[in-house]
Amino acid sequence: MAPSRSAMSSPSPSSVSLATEAPFRGSVLPAVFLLSAAALANEIFLIRLLSFRFWPHFVPLIVSQAMLGFGAAGVALHLLRDRIDKAPRPAFAWLILLAAPSFDLAFRASRHVAFDPFLLLWDPAAWPAFGLFFLLLAVPFFLAGGAIAVPFAFRFGRPGPVYAACFAGSAAGAVIALAAFPLVPTDALLRFPLGLGLAAGAFLLKEPGAGPRWARRAVWGVSLLLLLLPPAELSPSPYKDLAIARRLPEGRVLATRFGPSGDYRAVYAPGIHSAPGLSFRFTGDVPPQAALFHDGEARGVVPSGGGKDPPAYLGYFPSAMAYRMVSRPAVLQFGLRGTEGILAAAGNGAASVTVVEPAAELVVLVRDDLAGFSGGWPASLKTEILAEGARNFLARERRRFDLIEVAEISSANFSSLGIHATGETFLLSREGIRSALSLLTERGLIAFSGWLKSPPRESVKILATIRKELERGGGLASDRVVMARGWGSFVVLARRASFTEEEYLRARRFCEEMGFSMVWPRPAGSASEGAEEKALRDAVENALTGFSGDRGSGLFDLSPVTDDSPYFHRFLKLRSLPEFRRLLGNQWVPFVEWGMVFLLLSLAVSLALAAVCLLFPLAFARLRETAGGAAFAAYFSSLGLAYMLVELTYLKIGILILGDPIRAATAAIGGFAFFSGLGSAFSARWESAQTMRRWICPAIAILAPAGFLFLSLSAEALLPKGGALRTVSFLASLAPAGFLMGVPFPAALSRLFRAAPSSIPFAWGINGFFSVAGASLASVGALWIGFRGTVAAGGALYLLAGALFPRVGKPGDP
Amino acid sequence: MTFLRLITLVLMVLFLPASPCPWAGPDDPRAAERLAMVRDQIRGAGISDSRVLEAMAEVPRHLFVPAEYRHRSYAPRPLPIGEGQTISQPYIVAFMTEILRLKPSDRVLEVGTGSGYQAAVASKVAGEVYTVEIFESLAERSRGALAELGYRNVFVRQGDGYYGWEENAPFDAIIVTCAGGHVPPPLLRQLKNGGRMVMPVGGPFLTQNLVFIEKGPDGAISQRNVLPVAFVRLLGH
Repeated sequence: MAPSRSAMSSPSPSSVSLATEAPFRGSVLPAVFLLSAAALANEIFLIRLLSFRFWPHFVPLIVSQAMLGFGAAGVALHLLRDRIDKAPRPAFAWLILLAAPSFDLAFRASRHVAFDPFLLLWDPAAWPAFGLFFLLLAVPFFLAGGAIAVPFAFRFGRPGPVYAACFAGSAAGAVIALAAFPLVPTDALLRFPLGLGLAAGAFLLKEPGAGPRWARRAVWGVSLLLLLLPPAELSPSPYKDLAIARRLPEGRVLATRFGPSGDYRAVYAPGIHSAPGLSFRFTGDVPPQAALFHDGEARGVVPSGGGKDPPAYLGYFPSAMAYRMVSRPAVLQFGLRGTEGILAAAGNGAASVTVVEPAAELVVLVRDDLAGFSGGWPASLKTEILAEGARNFLARERRRFDLIEVAEISSANFSSLGIHATGETFLLSREGIRSALSLLTERGLIAFSGWLKSPPRESVKILATIRKELERGGGLASDRVVMARGWGSFVVLARRASFTEEEYLRARRFCEEMGFSMVWPRPAGSASEGAEEKALRDAVENALTGFSGDRGSGLFDLSPVTDDSPYFHRFLKLRSLPEFRRLLGNQWVPFVEWGMVFLLLSLAVSLALAAVCLLFPLAFARLRETAGGAAFAAYFSSLGLAYMLVELTYLKIGILILGDPIRAATAAIGGFAFFSGLGSAFSARWESAQTMRRWICPAIAILAPAGFLFLSLSAEALLPKGGALRTVSFLASLAPAGFLMGVPFPAALSRLFRAAPSSIPFAWGINGFFSVAGASLASVGALWIGFRGTVAAGGALYLLAGALFPRVGKPGDP
Repeated sequence: MTFLRLITLVLMVLFLPASPCPWAGPDDPRAAERLAMVRDQIRGAGISDSRVLEAMAEVPRHLFVPAEYRHRSYAPRPLPIGEGQTISQPYIVAFMTEILRLKPSDRVLEVGTGSGYQAAVASKVAGEVYTVEIFESLAERSRGALAELGYRNVFVRQGDGYYGWEENAPFDAIIVTCAGGHVPPPLLRQLKNGGRMVMPVGGPFLTQNLVFIEKGPDGAISQRNVLPVAFVRLLGH
């Protein structure tokens, strides 16, 4: 579990309650188990729900919210310990009874907060709304965290079984979450935490000594009614593609699929005419289309009846150039973009097409649900669609292909806002490109296409990446690349062998026919080119022939990315910030990467809230003993920060190993919760200063990076294996470190309990504050110093904590 | 004439604090804001066509903006107008109008009426403006606002702007005020030989290019990207 989560299960009992409190009759364990499961499932479901409402990569925010809720619960319990000591059983019962409906009500309430991440930079009035949104979603974690902590803090009998119930519940929550995704529509996911909470509450209805039974039953009954009500409607941000499509006159949803990979919907409206990058030489008509959406973001279209007769317009895109260079190719496509990619392959004379799509839900939706609309697959084309991750396929596949297509590496849809700047793209890393190149036939081509930005970004970054990989074997990349552009889009073709003059000629002819222009090889006598065209050609020339490894002197970071920091869509260079600031209000909008902006803003807001909720209440706490002063503060802040750095970086590498963010989040959050909970249960054995300083903390500092290194170095070997083996390997790699990471917090609390009990709220507050910060800082670290650097930083902080441990709870600094 | 107008405008802008706006009228409480907008955001940003500057100074933008955002009408930013659509920031409206080199005799097609503001500005420098809006509510609202303000040469129709307005084609100029992933072939067909068209192409809100298209006397199409800009998307494209 994360520090505050493991801290929820830490022994910090009140002196009064230790031996005098009688346990509930068998209700504590099931209630703790069920509520722990509910809290963890809630955390995972919120990741999906906010992906749908806003965009992906809300993981740091959700984890921050959970940390804030858990941390605030710890502070509150300790500040109110004298009162709760007099009646811990009612506190336990009511926290559980209130936690159950909060899973549903908090999300319902958050929908009424006028918050949209896009407004944060535009409108200062959006900041308080963001704060309120953040706080509302932290409430269930506050209540659940408080409820789970009561049996530990005010011991209801033996702590061991309660520990077991807590971490077994967390593991169950992870399993339940994964199982629930395909069972219910996305908007009904929170039924599960509510149901689990209700089940937990049911154990408290008849218990004596926990307040009036009628009141408990009334609250439980109201929660039950919530379960029977329709779930809160899940509306995407008005800026998202799905919201826009829904507003179209006569729009209707044709099919919906949901599962761990996401929420997929097909919408038809007469006003949908999608043909991004279409040449203006095409004078015909684009047929009616159904548009596909993944968590509310556009994911391609399905032309009506296209399977029977591939529409002509599909031959008028820059990406069609690849088909002029190879004859009857065996094609490999990454990502199922409706049926357009397959139809384009059929229309352009491909012999076969293999599509690799990680989302099985999308495959079923396109292949089965929309078969009537699409007309199926063209009979002339051998079509194969594989539901697996791109890197998994690349690692296991032995066939060779004449053409590998990676489309929309920059897109014209919602993602053009830069929302994926903080998203991992392992296919576009150097390792991913290397694997793809290895599946090409001798004269096979790899094609990348996407939207041009001005100034150019993705188009140049992919060239820099290709160059690195092509030149690994010697020779220059510049004669193995062709690039063309339409008026808003581009295509890059690359291969291991050089292009011939005849092939260059074919490329030029294609451009002339379509009204596109050659970018590389740079056309001679291009004096008439406009400023934007010249800027693109200059950037491309520099990427292919300039100093290799140049990170660029321009505004953007266009250097290749690796699996250690696979943020292909991050272009922000920190040293460019002053220049961006200078442009602010003038021409800054096209430069903004919203994912980055939101990450930094959410860090600022979450820290402000954490200060208010976790540190401000400490002003009302009396510190009666000295607890170690600066060493005390440094110890708990190091733990809070370090845990998050380690846990979230494992989560990120988990996306590569396990194939998608939700599975990775489930395995990482659930895995750390389980193993750290287990470690907390054993913490009493190792709480001596010597053991902590010499063994536990140094062991974490070694095991956390070691487990991570194992995963990262064995990735290529793991990727071809089955999902179960990869999950087991992932959990096994984090287990040793995760187990020991559960020890330092409760060990220090136990020490404080003996030496300076009044300082415990401060420990909670400081730890919680830095846990909140750590959730976002882990992403910042991954973006700029890489995964290994971030995990190493976490390990170093554990070493520091080990050195400080002997001074925690000792009189020293004021 | 053009020179005189330009001089007049420059003098008015320069002496803004001391001199009331002659065409705004004494009952126009936003005239000063509007002139300041023209001075700072439009002329100051490089728009120099005196007829466009005059139109921008004349058209009461705040009357095309929903009441709750009216206080920000003249700020350099787009504003929501309902149905998830926005009214473009003033500079973009001026830029798109200027780049089309509209003449008083021109027949203009606008795709994406939205608030009606762009149509109102274009109507000041062109002969007729035909504008198509896909959302009934916006079409009705803009039709009402334009009629109330006396724009007799603007014709509003509710429909899918992707298909243009065939009955009134061909057009000397086409303004597409909402971004799309491609230039609709029907619009290219409805553009007169020698006509001009401007359209934001790209993503829904950011990192788009404003594309300027010219149809030569022989019907040949040429294009160039003129400005990275932000627009509401041409729905579904």
